[in-house]
Amino acid sequence: MTVLGYLANGLVFSSIIVLGSIGLSLVYSIADFANFAHGDTMTIGAYSALVTFGAVGGLGGAVLGLPYGFFLALVVGIAVAAVVAVATEKLIYEPLDVDSIGLLITSIGIAFIYRAVIQIRFGSDFTRFDVRPLRPIEALVPYGVRITLHDVAIFGSAVALVVGLHVLLQYTDLGRKMRAMADNPDLARVSGIRTKRVKLWTWVIGAGLAGAGGVFLGLFNQLAPRMGFNLLLVIFAAVILGGIGSVYGAMAGGFLIGMINQLTPFFSNVVEALPIRPNWLATVIENMITIEYANAIAFVIMVVVLLVRPNGIAGEGAT
Amino acid sequence: MTDRRTLLKLTGGAGLVGLSGCLSTTDDGSDGSDGSDGGDGGDSTVAYEIGMVDSQTGSLSAFGERNQRGVDLALSMVNEVGINGRDLDIVVEDSESENQGGIAAAQKLVNQDGVPFLIGAVGSGVSLAIYESVIEGTDVVQLSQNSTGLNLTEFPGLLRMSPSGRSQSLALSNLISDDGYDEVAITYVNNDYGQSLTDAFVDAYEGEVVYNTPHDQDQQSYSSVISEMNSSGADAWLFITYQAEFATMVNEVFSSGYEAQFYGADSVSGDNVLENTPEGSIEGMKIVVPSAPVEEENYQSFADTFESEYGRQPTSWAAYAYDCVINAALAIQAADEFTGAALQDTVRRVSGPEGETVTSFEAASGILADGGGPDDVDYQGVSGPIDFDENGDPIGFLQVLEVQDHAYEGIDFIEG
Repeated sequence: MTVLGYLANGLVFSSIIVLGSIGLSLVYSIADFANFAHGDTMTIGAYSALVTFGAVGGLGGAVLGLPYGFFLALVVGIAVAAVVAVATEKLIYEPLDVDSIGLLITSIGIAFIYRAVIQIRFGSDFTRFDVRPLRPIEALVPYGVRITLHDVAIFGSAVALVVGLHVLLQYTDLGRKMRAMADNPDLARVSGIRTKRVKLWTWVIGAGLAGAGGVFLGLFNQLAPRMGFNLLLVIFAAVILGGIGSVYGAMAGGFLIGMINQLTPFFSNVVEALPIRPNWLATVIENMITIEYANAIAFVIMVVVLLVRPNGIAGEGAT
Repeated sequence: MTDRRTLLKLTGGAGLVGLSGCLSTTDDGSDGSDGSDGGDGGDSTVAYEIGMVDSQTGSLSAFGERNQRGVDLALSMVNEVGINGRDLDIVVEDSESENQGGIAAAQKLVNQDGVPFLIGAVGSGVSLAIYESVIEGTDVVQLSQNSTGLNLTEFPGLLRMSPSGRSQSLALSNLISDDGYDEVAITYVNNDYGQSLTDAFVDAYEGEVVYNTPHDQDQQSYSSVISEMNSSGADAWLFITYQAEFATMVNEVFSSGYEAQFYGADSVSGDNVLENTPEGSIEGMKIVVPSAPVEEENYQSFADTFESEYGRQPTSWAAYAYDCVINAALAIQAADEFTGAALQDTVRRVSGPEGETVTSFEAASGILADGGGPDDVDYQGVSGPIDFDENGDPIGFLQVLEVQDHAYEGIDFIEG
């Protein structure tokens, strides 16, 4: 496989991680706690889409190898994830009078509850969307790029959602309020912003994007009750790498982590080709940089970046 | 606000104290269990209570779900007849498919409930962890329902119903050589099970292993693994992993357009793999699985009952769990008293090669009720003859499956 091939795989995988990390970072910046139930919110989105897709079927035509019904299911997945997150905020997080550590621990419990409910309804086994699997796009195979139309759809939809969020944050009233609140909640409140309402919208957007990420994760791989939770560590790494609380940082972090994860085989080829002396050092490095340690390598890079920029890529300088 | 925080701290503290209480019973637990056994034995109406550690949640929960059906079926068979007029009751605890969870579950069963017989666990690492930290040194019987890891053989006190993976590795190496492949690429799941089967395979295989790399469980993408297997140039690819991971890999192989002859160890086969992989994507794949003797009459009647109860064919994992329960029930009936020491003696003998061959709990129980001893019965399980060797391993049957028209077809039988 060529570099182009690995880059293409990395783009697709990054798309999913970016969708997950934006929501996590957004909720951190405005609701002020690290939401451990975020991964399971992705799972909720995926399973809601599974049920919807099963109920409505293909609805005739198809775009990029995906039936229309799948896109409807995607919208439902986003909506259900958002509704569940808002309900959780209203029923549990808001009435709870605890600090951010208390909320963090609570969110771990919420994550277990989400997962248990899904497991009770769907069992613990994995499943897939009833979408016809595709072969790689023929035209790209000579370049060593082996991606399917589904991968293109995942990447395209993720880009559309990210651009949409950018427009929302920069050019709408709600976006300005959200940014104001992220900067200084007290100041935002005294200047007349209804902070509670903004917070709810934050949950809707963050969880909605997570739901979309979950649906794409299900399409990319498969659905299982633990799917979101298993990805959560990587998403946290992406968010911290980007600078926790920063939406654009989360995008950059998600992109980098996903890329590093998928590019590891390429790195190991490069290392093998490099004339490293002495030989024992070459052996050590070759043994370290293998796909076995893809996630570990991503984390090492995260640590190195944080040593140089303690607040992450997009974070402000250490103050 | 302050009050609530104080309260939270206090409850948190109390929780910790409670936890440490649980943990501290590890060392002196075996005494307690003996005491409560005696109490149970005296009462002739209370059900016999044994324990089971299962993977109800976690990465192996699919196995847990399957073998639970076998357990339920066996339990209803046993309780239809009864053991000395009493019922059998199984307390099931969840291992969360993790060593720590398994140990906690086993401690609860052995030390608090005082069970003399423990069925557990699924994962080989979990079974060993339970044996080494809870069972070893007590006289509680441990019988693993689904572990196939090779190193369980080194612990004779730890019995298991599923055969060791070593025979699978040997069978796979012969199969691949016989098919004319002198190069193979292997990827295995990064744990005891995957590592030990792979090591045994590499030792036995005559050709060259050109690629041999582990992968972690529960990853969202294995495209790096399969692209490296493809670059290795081998035409035979061997997968020693679990269903979910394998299904992911197959889908990625399919969507990347790679071609190879696939081989697999037992746990890559399953209906969930067929359901979740594209038609034709694993055509011609060969898998060696520990097999129930599917041509035997008792297996077929088991399969019929299973299908009418659950609407699907049983897996061999369900058959192993089923036999664990039946074996436990017979051991209890044959023993003089309901204690670990007595069961240690009978558990191997009721299904051992001596005695009259029987294929159901009812028949075996009848012989014991007529005054027969443990050596007068040779229970033949639905999963095989269940003759434990000196290492606590059964003599297993292996079946070679080939994927034809996206379904598994048995093409050969091998005695392990």
